[in-house]
Amino acid sequence: MASLVTCPHCGKRPKEEFTVKGAALTRPAVDAAQDVWFDYVYLRDNPRGAYQEYWHHTSGCRRWLVVTRDTATHEIFQCHDAAERGEVTA
Amino acid sequence: MTPYRLSSGGLIDRSSPLSFSFDGQRLNGFVGDSLASALLANGRLLVGRSFKYHRPRGILTAGAAEPNALMTIGRDGRTEPNTRATMQELYQGLEAKSQNCWPSLDFDIGSVNGLLSPFLSAGFYYKTFMWPAGLWERFYEPVIRRAAGLGKATYQADPDGYEKIWAHCDLLVVGAGATGLAAALAAGRAGAKVILADEHSRAGGGLLSETAAVSGNSASDFLAQTLAELASLPNVTIMPRTTVFGWYDGNVFGAVERVQKHVEIPATHLPVERMWRIAAKQALLATGAEERPLVFGGNDIPGVMLAGAMRSYLNRYGVAPGRRVAIVTNNDSAYALAGDLEKAGIVPVAIIDGRADARIEGYTGKARMIRGGYVSDAHGGKALSSISIWQNGHTEKLDVDALAMSGGFSPIIHLACHRGGKPQWSDEKSAFMAPDGLNGLALAGACAGIDGLAACLEDGAAKGLALAAVLGFDGHAPTLPEISGDIVNAAPAAFKIIPGVRGKAFVDYQNDVHRKDLGLAVREGYGHVELAKRYTTSGMATDQGKLSNVNAIAILAEARGISPAQVGTTTFRPFYTPVSFGALTGVSHGKHFQPVRKSPLHDWAKKNGATFVETGLWYRSAWFQRSGETGWRESVDREVKNARINAGLCDVSMLGKIEITGKDAAEFLNRVYCNAFLKLPVGKARYGLMLREDGMIYDDGTTSRLEENRYFMTTTTAYAAGVMNHLEFCAQALWPDLDVRLASVTDQWAQMAIVGPKARTILERIVDADISNEAFPFLGAAEVSLFGGQVHGRLFRISFSGELAYELAVPASYGEAVADAFMEAGSAHGIQPYGVEALSVLRIEKGHVTHNEINGTVVPSDLGFGKMVSASKADFIGKRMLAREGLHSSERLQLVGVVPIDPATSFRSGSHILAKGAEATLENDQGYVTSSCYSPHVGSAIGLALVRRGPERHGEEVMIWNGLRGEFTPGRLVSPVFFDPTNEKLHI
Amino acid sequence: MSEFRVTLSPALGGRAAVSRKGISVEAQPEGTLLHLLVDPTMGDAVRLAADLMAAGLELRPLTTGQWFAVGDTALAHADLAALSATLKPQADIVDQSHGRVRIIVKGKMAARVLSKGTAVDLDIAVFPVGHATTTLFGHISAHVTRIGEDAFELIVLRGFAESLWDELAQMSLEFS
Ligand SMILES: [Zn+2]
Repeated sequence: MASLVTCPHCGKRPKEEFTVKGAALTRPAVDAAQDVWFDYVYLRDNPRGAYQEYWHHTSGCRRWLVVTRDTATHEIFQCHDAAERGEVTA
Repeated sequence: MTPYRLSSGGLIDRSSPLSFSFDGQRLNGFVGDSLASALLANGRLLVGRSFKYHRPRGILTAGAAEPNALMTIGRDGRTEPNTRATMQELYQGLEAKSQNCWPSLDFDIGSVNGLLSPFLSAGFYYKTFMWPAGLWERFYEPVIRRAAGLGKATYQADPDGYEKIWAHCDLLVVGAGATGLAAALAAGRAGAKVILADEHSRAGGGLLSETAAVSGNSASDFLAQTLAELASLPNVTIMPRTTVFGWYDGNVFGAVERVQKHVEIPATHLPVERMWRIAAKQALLATGAEERPLVFGGNDIPGVMLAGAMRSYLNRYGVAPGRRVAIVTNNDSAYALAGDLEKAGIVPVAIIDGRADARIEGYTGKARMIRGGYVSDAHGGKALSSISIWQNGHTEKLDVDALAMSGGFSPIIHLACHRGGKPQWSDEKSAFMAPDGLNGLALAGACAGIDGLAACLEDGAAKGLALAAVLGFDGHAPTLPEISGDIVNAAPAAFKIIPGVRGKAFVDYQNDVHRKDLGLAVREGYGHVELAKRYTTSGMATDQGKLSNVNAIAILAEARGISPAQVGTTTFRPFYTPVSFGALTGVSHGKHFQPVRKSPLHDWAKKNGATFVETGLWYRSAWFQRSGETGWRESVDREVKNARINAGLCDVSMLGKIEITGKDAAEFLNRVYCNAFLKLPVGKARYGLMLREDGMIYDDGTTSRLEENRYFMTTTTAYAAGVMNHLEFCAQALWPDLDVRLASVTDQWAQMAIVGPKARTILERIVDADISNEAFPFLGAAEVSLFGGQVHGRLFRISFSGELAYELAVPASYGEAVADAFMEAGSAHGIQPYGVEALSVLRIEKGHVTHNEINGTVVPSDLGFGKMVSASKADFIGKRMLAREGLHSSERLQLVGVVPIDPATSFRSGSHILAKGAEATLENDQGYVTSSCYSPHVGSAIGLALVRRGPERHGEEVMIWNGLRGEFTPGRLVSPVFFDPTNEKLHI
Repeated sequence: MSEFRVTLSPALGGRAAVSRKGISVEAQPEGTLLHLLVDPTMGDAVRLAADLMAAGLELRPLTTGQWFAVGDTALAHADLAALSATLKPQADIVDQSHGRVRIIVKGKMAARVLSKGTAVDLDIAVFPVGHATTTLFGHISAHVTRIGEDAFELIVLRGFAESLWDELAQMSLEFS
């Protein structure tokens, strides 16, 4: 059916307008150790509770967002533009 | 007037008769009737057969929870099975048919299942059909499906329309009974934007059947007055015939409006059902409470009905339930029915009240009272004939033709539980209540455990006002009307297992689960509520246990010696009541199934004889058939040859096109491509490879530098949207400090490839500039004017075919005219249009890759692009993971060409490569064919393949094996470039 | 001079306006539609607006750092180049005059019809005249601007214009 995500630019929109990329992780430095890169590319936590993800408002403002949502209740705690630095915690 | 229809009273219009049919028999009803009330008025007590035992069943309720009176309505494409007769408005010409019966409703062979019932007990399917497994699909399931099952769907197309729509409001009130009306009025008066939805054909809920007086007037007068005021408020929308079926994240409610389910021939400009998605800031459930059946033997015999339902039929529809009516209850509410029956001249033969101390204020009737008594069994076949009354160990038999029962009330809290909250047992209310701590949703009136008209009006008004206030709308508490003659339950009904029961006592009517099944489930170790549900199927029918769940839990609790709270309950899930596939589909079928994306050259291709193929949403021209050509291959071969001999024109508008500007555009490209882009000169195009972070190739294409800080990127058609999203991710999330700006210009340009030895000669008549090889060499890119400056476009000298070739982009609306000009300018030079099939052959001959090869498993060196990867760049997407040792192994599957040894033979893409003489096993698999075609240039089938150490094995004989089809084709590995390996043609 | 006379083939060229009770759907002429990409450090819509108004164009907010500038008549190539030069370095112009199609939906029922496609609340109290956003309309992404109390302009990718048109015609059927 539907569920609404509050885009910081567009307001409440149905999830169909978005594309989810997955965990919002910080890209390691290019010379970081191989296991750091393995973590970044392949390994994911699967928490019950708060989880930070990259969502793209594909059919709206086309901005990449960092969405913090509860994997169990679907509650969205926070949603901000990905270009705002310093809020992505790996 | 039929024998059961009262001569006056009710909300039916006796001056507007309607005729309808039931199982082919013509019957009459009135405007205002439901199908159920009309059937009852005609004395049709037997309306269906039960699911498992094929027992005769009658109408049990007057609302959405009806488990028995499920019928097939309509005919042909409009056939709709499992319609609840209680919810279906009667209309002129309605055709209804009973279900679950063969050969007829009156004589049903399946009812022998009743005789076999010891074999159909709980868990029967699990126990019996476990073994042998092979018999399940071939024998058991078809037999069971024929015997059981609900109505049958039609195979004909639905001729009617459906649609979806969004609505937004401050307050959604679900249920337009007394509570909901009071809430909507209070919030509406305060100025909130209110939607009041109700699943019934008219607003009013219980008020439609109420005989208590409101401020000295009838309940229906009060209702009319309230509705008139609501209608006068522009901020209030009343939506009758609208079932709110689900509560979703973000406080969105799903609702289905039955726009034209009450007419014989729907108007074609209107949908028959409209699905609403209602985004509500706050919502209030005023959904009322469901009366519970009592679990005694034969409680399913036609003539046994819930007391509230009987009251509805009597008061709202003017239908007498019978001549000798008894009432059995464990609470006060049923006495309102007793009073109403007496007013209609039908004095109940007995009121059997399980409470030894029952004293009902407000009931002064003449009916015989049997206190501390129970109906232990009802008797009769297709109609009720008598009941056995158990009192203090003695049994008395009484002849009756109708029995009203009331086992207490369950608040209708389904919606409140749709987002994961579990119902909470309340000892005080003797019912499951909505979970605490709901956000954006409140409950009022009977669904919150409140009883009585006055209390419901008060609670509705208070909560409507409070929710409006939360949203900043201030209103005044209304003056509440005086209620007289209402019977309010002094205390909730307590559960009690009925003593003396002999016959089948049904808990879940729709799935034919009776009391003993639950006892059996407990004895066999399936007493947990979730297990019992599945073991017995109680609560698993289309009514989701609306009537049965609480009774089932009480019985489980009794059998296990624990409280209902300890038994717990299962969760309610959407949909509250079944929703048609039509409503869920909306307009998305037929030509509206999905959007079509058309190239600006679509009409040009069409008039040149294109056959189109759907690729994603695009319609692409696949080939252009000429007269005399008998098969697609003939057309494609001609197009390929002509492009290599003369010239071809191909529509490549659907390539993704992205314009990239900003001061850091060059740096940005340098980071998203694995090859170098910083030093690409203005006026030049370059082939680029984008990797994923894991080092695999993501997409390829050419990017041209048009100005110092302006680039024009092309992507593959399939990955156009994905690449744009990816670039935006890089620009916004990874490197927001770079000044890079992206615009998708895919649709701005009609782009055509002009290919072949005559390409330049033809192009010279189109573009104004000097495009000689010296002035505009291979990989040139320039803005050009056309036709003496009439049009401005972009010209790229790039080649996917290996021929002298150009791609010309012109503003989309000029596309058709420019393509026409090409055909005219090229006619003397043999120009012909070609489609994607020929395009594919040309590129396979040249050994160019597409996503057939770039399939997510290949790194640049696998495709011979190893040297392109920049060793000097500090960083690019995929750099770190591409450095992994295993990705540089020569044992990897790498690009190679493949041909059949015998040119008369061929092979398919997807076939596997085996070493010559090796056994055809997966262990011996050395790779697979990614692309294949017939090559007019080579004169045989050719292919591209990813093969272990492929580049080192040119010349080696192999076996091309298609295990699915059992095909073996001896072949040879060769260079993947079949055409012009030295690239001379590109530079002529 | 060239021997060829080129003509335009607008995406919705053959479509007569849909006119029903309280709702009409009409294609706008394919005039000018410029995509403005603004320097993130210099983004100033006010200055842009003045230059664009001089060129006969109206601004539509698109997304962070991006605007559409629309006009009913086509801008000559030289005028576009001149405008481009004027706006630099503040903004880059990407010409989308042929890449996007404008459709006007107007009438008392316009908001109701559009609500069959979009989840955006089009109540004038929250979506006033001049307000614009991009949203999914059914399965098609479109940019919506309220250009009057009961009038909306949709901007859609050219390739989807026919499909969106057909959807609008279907969704307004209720008012025939
Ligand atoms: Zn957005």
